[in-house]
Amino acid sequence: MIYLVIAYAFAVAVLGGYLVWSLRTLRKLEHKQ
Amino acid sequence: MNKYDRAAVAAVALMLVAGAAIFLFAPTDYLQGPVQRIFYLHVSSAIAAYGCFAVVLVGGIIYLRTENPVADRFARAGAIVGLLFTTVTLVMGMLWAKPIWNTFWTWDARLTSTLVLWMIYAGYLLVRRLADPGRQSARLAAVVGIFGFIDVPVVHFSVTWWRTVHPGPIIVNDALPPEMLATFFFSLACTLVLAGVMIAIRYRIETLLDAAQSVREPAKLIATAREPEPVP
Repeated sequence: MIYLVIAYAFAVAVLGGYLVWSLRTLRKLEHKQ
Repeated sequence: MNKYDRAAVAAVALMLVAGAAIFLFAPTDYLQGPVQRIFYLHVSSAIAAYGCFAVVLVGGIIYLRTENPVADRFARAGAIVGLLFTTVTLVMGMLWAKPIWNTFWTWDARLTSTLVLWMIYAGYLLVRRLADPGRQSARLAAVVGIFGFIDVPVVHFSVTWWRTVHPGPIIVNDALPPEMLATFFFSLACTLVLAGVMIAIRYRIETLLDAAQSVREPAKLIATAREPEPVP
């Protein structure tokens, strides 16, 4: 069960983290423009 | 909230529904127990990564033929997102392997070829980062992206070409009960939507970065031209 939790937590952290980071980067770049 | 924020919210909402299907709707595997639920996102991520690398392949071919920067931007976006999905596939697979095979890693054909795939696209991104931006680097990266795609069918067919610890194809062999199959296809669709949204956002970022670069380059040229000639 612990491996299942770690696996999904990792996927959420990587994919969710990248999604949030890319939206913030996009907002900053559009603001600069 | 712009259209990219809305698309991201929609993709996250779909993934939450997929999560509910994986943890609440899909039945628990009789042999492996709850850890088998890793399967749904592990396989979906692998297929999403193949799709992303197909974007790199097509973008690279179009760029080499037409030198259209749009194709190159799509290729860059596909490589980054594909690498993320390959990372998720590898790590989830390792965490699934530990309780089932009693080891996180074995140099099996499927695992090794997937690690090589990860390295190829990490190399692709390294080429883009280290080389000066421009035509030459884009052409070199396109070649890496095109030849790198050769590993995708190797990864996919490794379980049928070689004897592996990794299980063979189970979807095409009809080895899943209908609830598991429905959950898998729904998770796959949601993951592909998420990958598409991530590529679209990254494409927009690459467009803005290119625009900023094209403004900086002439400014740098003008500044260099204005510098006084060194006295011999």
